[in-house]
Amino acid sequence: MTRASQALSGFIALLALASVGFAARHATSRRQANPQPATAAREVTFNRDVAPIVFHNCALCHHPGEAGPFPLLTYADVKSHARQIAFVTDKRIMPPWLPDPGELKFTDELRLSDEQIATLQAWVDQGMLEGSAADLPAKPTFSAGWQLGKPDVIVRAEKPYVLPASGSDSYWNFVFRNPVNRSHWLKAIEIRPGDKRLVHHANILVDREESGRRLEKEPGAGFGGMELIIESEAFDPDSHFLFWKPGSPPYVEPDGMALRLEKNTDLVLNTHFQPSGKPEPIQPTLGLYFTDKPATLHPILIQLDNDRLLDIPPGEKNFLVSDDFTLPVDATILAIYPHAHYLGKDLLALATFPDGTKKTLIHISHWDLNWQAVYRYEDPPLLPKGTTISMRFTYDNSADNVRNPNQPPKRVVAGNRASDEMAHLWLQVLPSESADSSVDPRREIQEALALHHIQNNPDDFEAHYNLAALLQMRGNLSGALLQFSEAVRIRPEDPIANNALGAVLLASGQVEGAIPHLKTALASRPDYFDAHYNLGNALASKGDFGGALTHFRAAVRLNPQDANAEANLGSALAETGNLKEARLHFERALQIDPKNELARENLEQLNRETQGHPN
Amino acid sequence: MGRPWHTFRVGRLLLIAIVAAWLVSSGSLSRSAQNSALDLEGNPADPLKMAAGRVVVLVFVRTDCPISNRYAPTVQRLSAAHAGKAVFWLVYPSKAESAESIRKHEREFGYKLPALRDPQRVLVKESQVQITPEVAVFDAARRLVYHGRIDNLYEDIGRARSAATTHELEDAIAATLSGRTLSAGTAPAVGCYISDLE
Repeated sequence: MTRASQALSGFIALLALASVGFAARHATSRRQANPQPATAAREVTFNRDVAPIVFHNCALCHHPGEAGPFPLLTYADVKSHARQIAFVTDKRIMPPWLPDPGELKFTDELRLSDEQIATLQAWVDQGMLEGSAADLPAKPTFSAGWQLGKPDVIVRAEKPYVLPASGSDSYWNFVFRNPVNRSHWLKAIEIRPGDKRLVHHANILVDREESGRRLEKEPGAGFGGMELIIESEAFDPDSHFLFWKPGSPPYVEPDGMALRLEKNTDLVLNTHFQPSGKPEPIQPTLGLYFTDKPATLHPILIQLDNDRLLDIPPGEKNFLVSDDFTLPVDATILAIYPHAHYLGKDLLALATFPDGTKKTLIHISHWDLNWQAVYRYEDPPLLPKGTTISMRFTYDNSADNVRNPNQPPKRVVAGNRASDEMAHLWLQVLPSESADSSVDPRREIQEALALHHIQNNPDDFEAHYNLAALLQMRGNLSGALLQFSEAVRIRPEDPIANNALGAVLLASGQVEGAIPHLKTALASRPDYFDAHYNLGNALASKGDFGGALTHFRAAVRLNPQDANAEANLGSALAETGNLKEARLHFERALQIDPKNELARENLEQLNRETQGHPN
Repeated sequence: MGRPWHTFRVGRLLLIAIVAAWLVSSGSLSRSAQNSALDLEGNPADPLKMAAGRVVVLVFVRTDCPISNRYAPTVQRLSAAHAGKAVFWLVYPSKAESAESIRKHEREFGYKLPALRDPQRVLVKESQVQITPEVAVFDAARRLVYHGRIDNLYEDIGRARSAATTHELEDAIAATLSGRTLSAGTAPAVGCYISDLE
């Protein structure tokens, strides 16, 4: 007697990782009204006083091939933009650096001191003297090629995206299909977005479920959209910010924090462009750098948000969105990424320690989506268990906010489009090891987060889904059942939630309950391998081998490299008496995976049963 | 100033003072390449003289100013929309910019407008502009009726709207064509300082 495998596949969690935004930076000068007398009195020259400031703070972007629209490498370069430089530095428009100065320092801070700004101003006021050649520091040198040397793998977007000459900002996503054909530890990705003058920033999302591909009108074409939701296997450590902004060198993960990149995984590059005045074809390239040092430290991304309360009346100038999350374990904050769109005004994150003391994690009092960034702490702060992280974001939905995409203003709610808003605060935290080895601190955080989000919003689909997946991982099938049911209640047609609910029902022996959900999953997504596989199993377990056959055949067609699907197809064929074809599929399963037990057992059984009856 | 042929050329007493003022800044019949804008062949060129009774729009641009470049499609669209009624010129107020680099810039950004170099800032002064991109509109009597921004896409450097909500250049052209007096004053342009250029 053959049997159908009870192996279930495809438990998937949704981790929504968004990327973009836009907003207002009211350029106010923080320079003191009177430049320091020392500066004013002294003769200011380019070679001695200005070049060190410009070379160190501006040239990173303002050199050929980089994002700056003109180079700032010589006296002539700087002189031909001198008044402009004095103006934009005085208003702190340049260099672009959003966080207010605070107790916690970030790496690669691009902030001019008041004295440096006064020096630039004085240089212009005094007539832009060049000064003595002997004073000129060495011109900075930049390598035009890969900043980290030759990458281990280079992948290029299949097709360029042509940025229109005019219009408002553009958001485009490029899908890099299967950049690796076996598992690697990744220590860095260098993003070469194409013409860097056009790209405001870019984010990479790891996509194991072909979520991005499904949004492409034709393969390789990419797709539009500001924010992305990528389906992700439950809690694989994707908890790295893969972020690019102009002038930032590629970030190399420290030893022990490499990112695992498997085969059959796509990378999706989410990019934000501003039109230049002419059509611009953009075809980004990624350079992947591997390491043989596997991950030993496992950070996790925490997302604070309160989308349900993000409902801003037109004309409202100070709309507050807040969220508070209390850490269930000790954790160190490595990096922080506040995110809002065009109405965002003042973005603040605070930590309140168990003893009541408070620390500002980041404060951006003049938010500007254009210059959003991931900020990494120079000395990552340790937050003890019981510390509450608070998000306090304010929004300006009045006509006075020139970046308001709706003129006249209208009601704005949470959403993924540029004309919607977001209030998200991501933190990359490294949970401290627990003394109790049975406690996985990452899972503690995930579960607390899911519960937190459900408390904020009982209709939070992702939170119910993620909590279900966590409970399932802990073996709590009834809890998982309840949470997957909630996810299906919220999105009755959702293929992933229906498949997951069907799979859990199947695993709990509720075959009749499972079948309608698996059918719904397939109605929503006819080419869904996991749902075909699970429905095949469901039908087989109630004896409908003909029905099972149809779905196992579909599964094998969709994923010819899955040994279990082949073995189950063989089993269903054997049950319907087609032993000859069954044998082919058992053999095929063993070709794919020589250790596949189901195929081996069934093939052995087939050999015994057909001895003397070679059909 | 005050030479006899000034008056008969204009023929309208009210305009004498303005014409005279122009002649001060742009010289006389004998003016040379030293105090004139130049076409891309290097010949002295006066876009206002060539206007033949039409409205003239001078668009001051710079090859390496991103805000100026971002306006290229808008400028091209407006010039096409007013073809026959208003003559658009690009003006590059830089000594350093060669005719060749200007041609390349025009090609890259899809400009189909005649371009002038203004190394002596003759047109800059006459138009009272300070920024790229900034526009100057002259009526048929070569009177400066507007100079300033094209529209309000940029509130400030680094602060752009998703789309402009006021359209000063279009309004100025429309008012001039219909003989109305422009009610709005100058709206300051946002971009790069012309005085930074060599």
